[in-house]
Amino acid sequence: MNTANLSTSWAVIGASGFIGLRTVEGLHGRDGVNLRPVVRSATSLAVLARRRLDWRIADPRDLPALTEALRGCPVCLHAALGDPVQIERMATIAYRACAAAGVRRLVWLSSASVHGQNPPPGTDESTPLHESHPLAYNNAKVRAERRLEQLARDGRVEVVRLRPGVVFGPRSRWITDAAADLRAGRAGWLGRGRGVCNSIHVDNLVHALRLAATVPAAAGEAFLVGDAETVAWRDFLLPIALHLGLDETAFAEPPPAPLVAERTPPLAALTRTRLYQRLGDAVPDRAKRLVKGLASAWPAPAPARDAWVLPRAPAGRLTLEQTLLQGCAWKLPHAKAARLLGYVPPVPFAAGLATSLEWLDFAEGRT
Amino acid sequence: MKPPNTPVSLALVGCGAVSRLFYRPALRELRRHGLVELVAVVDPRPEARDPLARELGCAACASLDAALALRPALVAIATPPSLHRVQAEAALAAGCAVLCEKPLAATADDADAIVAAAARAARPLAAGHYKRFFPAHRALKTLIERQTFGPLLEATLVEGGKFAWPAATDSFFRREQTPGGVLLDIGVHVLDLLRWWLGEPADFTYADDALDGLEANARLDATFAGGARVRLRLSRDWRTENVYVFRFARAVVHCRVNAANQLEITLDDLPLTLAAELRHPLPARPAPPSRALETNPQAFLAQLVDVCAALHEHRPPFVPGAEGAAALRWVETCYARRTPLSLR
Repeated sequence: MNTANLSTSWAVIGASGFIGLRTVEGLHGRDGVNLRPVVRSATSLAVLARRRLDWRIADPRDLPALTEALRGCPVCLHAALGDPVQIERMATIAYRACAAAGVRRLVWLSSASVHGQNPPPGTDESTPLHESHPLAYNNAKVRAERRLEQLARDGRVEVVRLRPGVVFGPRSRWITDAAADLRAGRAGWLGRGRGVCNSIHVDNLVHALRLAATVPAAAGEAFLVGDAETVAWRDFLLPIALHLGLDETAFAEPPPAPLVAERTPPLAALTRTRLYQRLGDAVPDRAKRLVKGLASAWPAPAPARDAWVLPRAPAGRLTLEQTLLQGCAWKLPHAKAARLLGYVPPVPFAAGLATSLEWLDFAEGRT
Repeated sequence: MKPPNTPVSLALVGCGAVSRLFYRPALRELRRHGLVELVAVVDPRPEARDPLARELGCAACASLDAALALRPALVAIATPPSLHRVQAEAALAAGCAVLCEKPLAATADDADAIVAAAARAARPLAAGHYKRFFPAHRALKTLIERQTFGPLLEATLVEGGKFAWPAATDSFFRREQTPGGVLLDIGVHVLDLLRWWLGEPADFTYADDALDGLEANARLDATFAGGARVRLRLSRDWRTENVYVFRFARAVVHCRVNAANQLEITLDDLPLTLAAELRHPLPARPAPPSRALETNPQAFLAQLVDVCAALHEHRPPFVPGAEGAAALRWVETCYARRTPLSLR
């Protein structure tokens, strides 16, 4: 028996983002389900407005507004983005809003990074989580999951957590950033890209979201989801280079980034504190933009340029996240999703990459 | 353009984002120079009109009629397009000149009606296509007409990015309230420029990605008299290069969107690109560097100065209403010929 009935509405929080938008486009009208996009502001409707949809405008950190936006929906899919503090806060507010609005099931889009970007071989959903990752994002995702598990003990809302890896497809930063790095001559890879890329095409993730929303046995569970194939990073990155008319020589082999916890500049760190974010609810948007602008501009003044240097092209580089991801040797399994949800990824990796590159051509004005 | 001698009394209709971001600083500056006297701002929403009226030191009116009773010489209309016709006709009937933001109206028929009303009232009507005042765009018109680098062979124009305009409500995205998407929003500026530069297209095709709503991506391919081929890509979905590229017989010219006084010129047989700020011309003798031509905000100011001067000099404005109506007619023809743009 499915959670959703015919002619029902599912809310999608964060519907204007890469995954949220694809979810709305992929599932709206399917099986008698209408998707109700929930976005932070009218500005976020620009692409969603290609269809006539019954959208709502509500900040995912605003409990009363979000509760109102979710009323009448038995299912809520949460795909909103945020900084680490927002991620944790959104989990609490999403649960409480669902409970208050009578939502029966909340599908929380978590991340495989709760296990780290480079999880030890053997990792699966039963592997205990920890909060000692070098990336603050990972730790926030872990805390958000734990918070949801704790909240769901009251039994008011069923919570399903999905843990996708590298989600790619049209509009994905994994495609556009790689293309931009290649074109700028700063692309790098580790060990010629032999590490495992735990990829999942966005349409496979949308398929998993649908199953997570509807399969009764999913309640209370967490699921790793990915593509069917075991993909190496070179399988992912090299076709992008070839598509741009480049080849393997476009990738430098720079030294890996040091594996130390990332540091946030002080002012930016201030904007990510719980206190600031609570106070921030009462601060006008203009003042927030000013602080954010200052945070991005400070404290890294441009170094004085030495006139006596040879002009040179940018060098290949690897960020901490790339270093961790490309050092991965373990294909995260989705056997649990297959067993409990009946998850079989419908889009083969190669086909998904091909459509992503088609979209890149369009987005960059070549078609 | 010669500035007028006495301040032009002006009423600003609509207190949304355009008024806050463009008209507010522009009117302050023009008032500082004694070019305009702002008599009223108009908006049915007190929370929108009252702060703006306080800032600009003028009356806050809930209706256009109340503002017209103050007898402004010029009415600037910056409201949603569905209101343009009724407001422009009322202002013209009251004997005011009108500067109407783009698109000139919700439909080309409404735009024609506004143009006819201006003719009947014998008052100036200006279309808010202020990008014609960009020095770079004026320079391109000269390059195309005089064939300085030979004839124009082709042009590729890409404009847009993730939508970031601070829309106050979702009316901008509801088809019943706003009749078009990215083509009507930013595309109407570009179609106006193309008509100004190249005349009417000989033929064109158009595609966009609207389903039963408003398009976020659009593509137009056109040919013009003389054989120039133009491809236009617009997006409110994804960051584009935001550049117009013109391939002449002997040079390529890049014009960055909204970089009002800059051009990048690559001459054939010269292995470099000149990335140039456009300035007042230098004499053919030793001279200090000359002043830069207008920036984007200064081009907006130039449009207002031009309309004021048109009033004083009893001449049509630089961008008359009929030009705005023609650009809108082209937009509508695009929608009528629309084919689906499939994005997977």
